[in-house]
Amino acid sequence: MIELSHVSKHFGEEAAVDDISLRVAKGKFCALVGTSGCGKSTTLRMINRLIEHSAGDILLDGQAIQSYDPVKLRRRIGYVIQSTGLFPHWTVARNIGLVPRLLKWPRDEVTARVEELMGMLGLPIEEFAHKYPHQLSGGQAQRVGVARALAANPDILLMDEPFGALDPITREKLQDEMVKLQARLHKTVVFVTHDMDEALKLADHLVVMRNGRIVQQGSPLALLQHPEDPFVDSLLGGLERGLKQAALTRVKDHMTSLGQSLPAQSRIPADYSLRQALSMMLRDHCDRLTVVDQQDMPIGELSLRKIVKEAQLDKVSARDAY
Amino acid sequence: MLISRRIEPSSNANHGWALPLIWGVLLAAAVLGMPYLESVFRWLEPDARQVIYRRAEFSTLLGRHLLVVGVAAAVTILVGVLAGIAVTRKRGQDFLPLVGQLASLGQTFPPVAVLALAVPTLGFGTLPIIVALMLYGLLPIVRNTLAGLQGVSTDIKQAALAMGMTPWQVLHRVELPLAAPVILAGVRTSVTINIATAALGATVGASNLGDPIIAGIVNGNMAYVVQGALLIALLALTVDSLFDAYQQTLRSRLSAS
Repeated sequence: MIELSHVSKHFGEEAAVDDISLRVAKGKFCALVGTSGCGKSTTLRMINRLIEHSAGDILLDGQAIQSYDPVKLRRRIGYVIQSTGLFPHWTVARNIGLVPRLLKWPRDEVTARVEELMGMLGLPIEEFAHKYPHQLSGGQAQRVGVARALAANPDILLMDEPFGALDPITREKLQDEMVKLQARLHKTVVFVTHDMDEALKLADHLVVMRNGRIVQQGSPLALLQHPEDPFVDSLLGGLERGLKQAALTRVKDHMTSLGQSLPAQSRIPADYSLRQALSMMLRDHCDRLTVVDQQDMPIGELSLRKIVKEAQLDKVSARDAY
Repeated sequence: MLISRRIEPSSNANHGWALPLIWGVLLAAAVLGMPYLESVFRWLEPDARQVIYRRAEFSTLLGRHLLVVGVAAAVTILVGVLAGIAVTRKRGQDFLPLVGQLASLGQTFPPVAVLALAVPTLGFGTLPIIVALMLYGLLPIVRNTLAGLQGVSTDIKQAALAMGMTPWQVLHRVELPLAAPVILAGVRTSVTINIATAALGATVGASNLGDPIIAGIVNGNMAYVVQGALLIALLALTVDSLFDAYQQTLRSRLSAS
């Protein structure tokens, strides 16, 4: 668990981070979002003490981070950056095995772990183990970066715009894999990005920052439903917010059982998002879809009118809960 | 010019060692075969009493020459690289401009002047020339060490620290290997210049390949001058091509950057 309370960082007169408090529970994925220069990367680097904070407390598993030796602390925390930071004079395998070697794991354990990680991240060993970073594509290099961060099995993973330099297709693919990886590994992740869609897709907890301060934090849905100020609203896409919220909702959560009337022509799998369902309605000029399971058997129905009504109800209940 | 000896990825890294071998063989042939070229030098200096320098064996002179350059280079590399490392660390940052200026000063000072100043304190012989060579050869090494270390990307250094490397591990496992080609280029420049400059040592009684040249000038014997100059040139070419070959292997091993 990571806990920041009233943390500030001053560079001379200027406050890069100004009195922020946030808490990332074990196994949760927290995204820090904001425009560049808002202090999100500084916040990240204070957690592994690349930057020492000026005021407040940063606790790791309930213990102040100053009480840890910085070198040992960093070996327990995975770190991924946009430019990968891979060592150009080392092979992929050597790069990945770095932290286990620093921790003096026996040689065959390091090898086994490197191979395990390369498998996990879709890097065939024969093809990649002996390549150098400059021989990799951007996406492959960042896979190596993630593998290196995970190598010594840290509980905590810090990621600083890891997919920011990738082309949209590769980025989306790596985001999808990150979701799967996290579902399996349950790391405590702090993820910095300026891409709100990326944050919405990956995070359990969203923290919006501006000028070194936290503007708003909460679950992605809570933020989408109740942006507290125009800045958060604009980051969340303004008018597009409805669709972004729909993208976070599964079809199966809004489906009703098959009615008496004839089933609709268009079919949509139950685990697709509501956004995809709305898009399909627009495309096929209909206001009802048949929901199917993985075997393409109809299991329910989705109606535009009901979605709209339920959205209203959600809004009321969410406001009450807030 | 010193720093601009940049590292281009080389496609054919393996032709490297042939050239130093050729120059080395030529040098050895010249050292051993000089006395047999009497007729050639006779043609150059028909009136001289003697046309082959005989006050010492050429091989002895070559050995002493190498010793002087070698000792000076060893000290210069040690001092230069350590200074370069020291001022690129956080604690030494303040001294960065100072070290740069001192090294430049060393090179603007003509070695002859250094010799003139050093002889009264250090006496005649080998020591003054070693001091002069050290001062003269320091700049390229310091400058390239700085350029090499500063050229390592901040992201890579940050990542190394963030992975849990100690500052010492970052230096010797990441920074120095990545800076090595640039540092080596500085050493190459320094040593090659000093092979020629060391000949000045003959003027203060350090016997080396400069002896025939000085003796030739004093006695008006062009043959001696040519013999000394030829050997020094061949030595410089051999050593320079050795460095070149080594740089190429280093580069191909590290074609990354």
